[in-house]
Amino acid sequence: MVKSPTEKKVREPLFHIVKRDAIPWWKAWLIRIAAVLIALVVVAVITLVMTGQDPIEMYKAMFDGAVGNSTRTWNLLQDTALLLIVGLAVTPAFKMRFWNIGAQGQILVGCLATTFCMRTFTGKVPTAVLFILMIAFALIAGAVWALIPGIFKAYLNTNETLFTLMMNYIALNLVAFFCFRWSKNSGNDVIGIINRSSKTGWMPDIAGNKFLLNIIIVAVITVAAFVYLKYSKHGYEISVVGESENTARYIGINVKHVIIRTVLISGALCGLAGFLLVSGVHHTLTTDVEGGRGFTAIIVSWMAHFNPFYMILTSFLIVFLEKGAIQVASAKNLQLDDNFSDIVVGIIILFIIGCEFFINYRIKFKSKDKAEEARE
Amino acid sequence: MKKILAIVLALVMLFALAACGATQDDANTDSANANTDTENAGADTEEAGDALKFGFIYLHDQNSTYDRNFMEAAKAACEKLGVEYVEKVPIPEGNECYEAAIDLVNQGCDIIFADSFGHEEFLLQAAEEHPEVEFCHATGTMAHTEKLANFHNAFASIYEGRYLAGIAAGMKLNEMIENGEFKPEEAKIGYVGAYTYAEVISGYTSFFLGARSVCKTATMEVQFTGSWYDETAEKNAAETLINRGCKLISQHADSMGAPTACEDAGVPDVSYNGSTLEACPNTFIVSSRINWEPYFEYVIGCVKEGKAIDTDWTGTISTGSVVLTEVNEKAAAEGTVEAIAEAQAKLVSGELHVFDTSTFTVEGKELTSYLADVDTDDAFTPDTEVIKDGYFAESEFRSAPYFDVAIDGIERLNAMF
Amino acid sequence: MEKAPAIELKNITKTFGRIVANHNVNLKVNRGEIMAILGENGSGKTTLMNMISGIYFPDSGHIFIDGKEVVIASPKDSYKYGIGMIHQHFKLVDVLSAAENIVLGLHGKYNIKEASREVARIASLYGFEIDPAKKIYEMSVSEKQTVEIIKVLYRGADILILDEPTAVLTPQETAKLFAVLRRMKEDGKAIVIITHKLHEVLSISDRVAVLRKGEYICTLETKDATEASLTEAMVGKKVALDIDRADPVDPEDRLIVKDLDCINREGAKVLDDVSFTARSGEILGIAGIAGSGQRELLEAIAGLQHVESGEITYKDPKTGKAENLRDKTPMQIRQLGVRLSFVPEDRLGMGLVGSMDIIDNMMLRSYRKGKSAFLQRKEPRDLANEIIKSLEVVTPSATTPVRRLSGGNVQKVLVGREIAATPTVLMAAYPVRGLDINSSYMIYNLLNQQKERGVAVIFVGEDLDVLIDLCDRILVIGSGHVTGVVDARTTTKEEIGLLMTKSVAHGEGGELNG
Repeated sequence: MVKSPTEKKVREPLFHIVKRDAIPWWKAWLIRIAAVLIALVVVAVITLVMTGQDPIEMYKAMFDGAVGNSTRTWNLLQDTALLLIVGLAVTPAFKMRFWNIGAQGQILVGCLATTFCMRTFTGKVPTAVLFILMIAFALIAGAVWALIPGIFKAYLNTNETLFTLMMNYIALNLVAFFCFRWSKNSGNDVIGIINRSSKTGWMPDIAGNKFLLNIIIVAVITVAAFVYLKYSKHGYEISVVGESENTARYIGINVKHVIIRTVLISGALCGLAGFLLVSGVHHTLTTDVEGGRGFTAIIVSWMAHFNPFYMILTSFLIVFLEKGAIQVASAKNLQLDDNFSDIVVGIIILFIIGCEFFINYRIKFKSKDKAEEARE
Repeated sequence: MKKILAIVLALVMLFALAACGATQDDANTDSANANTDTENAGADTEEAGDALKFGFIYLHDQNSTYDRNFMEAAKAACEKLGVEYVEKVPIPEGNECYEAAIDLVNQGCDIIFADSFGHEEFLLQAAEEHPEVEFCHATGTMAHTEKLANFHNAFASIYEGRYLAGIAAGMKLNEMIENGEFKPEEAKIGYVGAYTYAEVISGYTSFFLGARSVCKTATMEVQFTGSWYDETAEKNAAETLINRGCKLISQHADSMGAPTACEDAGVPDVSYNGSTLEACPNTFIVSSRINWEPYFEYVIGCVKEGKAIDTDWTGTISTGSVVLTEVNEKAAAEGTVEAIAEAQAKLVSGELHVFDTSTFTVEGKELTSYLADVDTDDAFTPDTEVIKDGYFAESEFRSAPYFDVAIDGIERLNAMF
Repeated sequence: MEKAPAIELKNITKTFGRIVANHNVNLKVNRGEIMAILGENGSGKTTLMNMISGIYFPDSGHIFIDGKEVVIASPKDSYKYGIGMIHQHFKLVDVLSAAENIVLGLHGKYNIKEASREVARIASLYGFEIDPAKKIYEMSVSEKQTVEIIKVLYRGADILILDEPTAVLTPQETAKLFAVLRRMKEDGKAIVIITHKLHEVLSISDRVAVLRKGEYICTLETKDATEASLTEAMVGKKVALDIDRADPVDPEDRLIVKDLDCINREGAKVLDDVSFTARSGEILGIAGIAGSGQRELLEAIAGLQHVESGEITYKDPKTGKAENLRDKTPMQIRQLGVRLSFVPEDRLGMGLVGSMDIIDNMMLRSYRKGKSAFLQRKEPRDLANEIIKSLEVVTPSATTPVRRLSGGNVQKVLVGREIAATPTVLMAAYPVRGLDINSSYMIYNLLNQQKERGVAVIFVGEDLDVLIDLCDRILVIGSGHVTGVVDARTTTKEEIGLLMTKSVAHGEGGELNG
């Protein structure tokens, strides 16, 4: 093809963005690792420039906060598990493109239900029955909290994002109400530790380790979630509905049915997370017992591309950073407050999420001959 | 297959990270030790008095006036006595508090302090597991019933400070009446409270009694917000009170909501937890607050000398724990400073009691006997007779307040909290 | 300025990947002239116009405005040269008024009053009816179109391009629009109108350029053209394709559709009294301009489209029993034992799941098999491997997501799966669209094999040559009506072409030509 003189005048952009076909898995991981490294460097520069603190000391503090001693490491693992289970909970809904941002509310009502059982049934039923009640109530509470927006979505096509968000506020205020109603000293909002002396309804220690049972439960659920999503007919239907409702209709899937079933599972798992938080960790109910996991879990799930095993990695990473950040904020040799350490966490996560762009797309720079032509 | 490989790789990476973390961590402890050489040597000789480490657990960061009050006292006391200290912030009132306490124990702290009411049981849990460490908790109620040798409550007789601040308020009301701004029977005080909790009730009642000791016609309305920190709710509550005809506002909640509303409306305000003079130069009169420095110094002293710490420690005006800020001459009535000083002297000498039963009535009658809920239980059972020698003995049976009587002259506008 | 070309295109070529959308197109439009661009769907009309308006950039070729060569790299450049495009889909902000939409995005002072005056002036000049203060969301389709046209005039356009402007208008509104266009022409504007409606071409244009499959065919003077000559130019001469076609063996009625009416989401009637019969051992072709109701027809049969009235009856080949399929879901149709396979037009949006691999896509229809709660991947894996082998699907493996495959291979996977279900009725919508020659022939052969097996095949196509060579009978639909059923062995492209545009011309031509 003969190049015409006009073509030289064409202002071609410096680069364009091209979607990649497939990328070898090792290359994808190389990009991710590079992203983490670049993030660390960027954070170091920002720290140095903005605060004048030694970034190496800051990273040391981070590692110290996360895995500084065995208690910290166990705490890290337990919190990873607790974030992971919420991540697992929101995943079926997200995979179905049901934007469930109501995990917070679903967890809170699970916590509330568990607390209710611990307060009401302790001493009245055998411990085993108490546990069954606690788990059942938590599952049902979470499921109902998700079912309400689910039904509206399936039958009236309401916006589930807003709906689930609003359900969060209702749950939060319900919890605030009961914190007041059940408070230890009349007129306050502190329930205090439930069954502190008898430890009834507390998740038992395993081999003297109080973290282990939580972790084991979540590990089992992780495997189950993986199998459910990947090998069950339900999981298959979720994938089809999420990819294309048209395809689902084409092959005769009852989309409404799948939506409702999936949000029930999603909500029930959130409820279970609430049970673990109250029975396994806090042994009390407060308005921040959920600790922001409902929203953080969305990042966990998306970063892992909805793969439960990758989610182990992403939730670990986030908890690691959070734990590290607390230490950064309180380390005496660093004059940094927790606002700054949140910035650090934010930047690192941003890089990790952002690098997915470079895994999916390639940046094609202006080819050389064309560039030369443009200079003429 | 690829996926499995990916997972394996990821795990390898993780472990590498973790291993890396562990080694770096060692390095960190080394450097930390190097930084505080003298203290390290002390720690080796085990609990030798001069190498103390104090751990603090705070609910919020320094943006909360409540927590900042503790932080500043901690810093002052530790620096004064040359004690190393570690802070954990922000620690919610859940298992995080227990985790933080354990972490502080692991860092070698000898004394651990938590500042929020909801921290108490989690701190208690840690105290049970670590009898070798002293645990101190502000505003708590359980030390005297749990009877753990290493767990202590502390508070201050802030009701005395509130009483004194109330005198300033009463004088301001008198001044306004004299200026003909309103009639004596219209002297209504508005109070923004957090919860219908004894600490709050004790606070506004003492404030009211202080005001009425000067302005006989004073009445009070209380609006609750249901939160210790909710700027919007507190501002709205103050505005409601002002609209209902309250001539002066005070508050027991931690945000700037009420003082700001007062400054906007030009209504005088008696503040709490510290001066709000800067933000409210025209309406701020005076503020009472608890100074925790004496307590921290006391605790450090006890540990250094190997003495037992009081199970319930109540700071007073005499210990320097209950303090008033400078009076804002611009807003306060003439003679306020002198009147406060006079009343303060009487309180210290014991001549004057804040909750003197002859100064107030309950449902029209004088209070002669009252069982308060001093020992915590789920049913809130009253258990202790607290009226003695003609006054309500606040903070004598435990440090945290337990005065929760509804006296005549004070109306609660909402009581759902 | 008399008859000086306002815009001239020389040897314009544009490709998208392997698809050639325009190849060496030459075009000349004069001032004071209405030029119609005629072509079937996919003939490259819109691509060409998008290059003039700066949305696409040509791979090669030259554009001249008033005899001077120009580079149009962005819509901004296009404005600069006085080119205004009115798209098929309006680009207006609903909550703003007409006048606000018109001045939106312009530099300079934002003065609604002045703008309103100018809008009124333009409207009276050309005979538009418009209320500058009316909000877009309160407007009818034709009012919105008016806003779009005034918008480009306001910005000083004197070369107007209208992309199928009449597609959304009633005959009365069309007549009004044409009156306005004629006035603009008298005012010396150059106007390009894209359409595939022959009678409109004849009524409005001065000259007509014909495109076919991306190629520029010719430019005719409208006064010399007839519907027949335009059709011939549009569909081209018959090309022999060399597809083996066996005679149907013992055809019997399999699927009977009677008086079918359907309404789409916008409330427009998309199928009107459609009746036909599909027979076993026969390929029934469906021809028509895209969007004439083909998709709705197939989806109605498959249970995916709500039917207003009419009957869909299936005759079981074994028992001879008649089953009513109307108002049944795809699941219910399956449970009746009706083996209906459907290759939809939207392959990755309906027929397959793009992110799933070939094996999982094989399961789409069969995953429910068995009582277990878990998926049985063995059979689908075998099927996937068999299809990859027998249909020569080019793929790294059976576990590659189908999205990563090329169009032809995607279609092989889809058709292969649908055939593997041993259907008695096989419906395929545009099964060779975007496929290369070899893949296309493989699909034709597969359809022929099914026909020989006694399957009733329904084939919706756009290439008339293929329809004529592959099918036994061809059902022609135009705007939701059946306009004729012809014997593929004896028909001609012209006959089909005229039938395709027939119903639209019916009853409207008279007014417009006047």
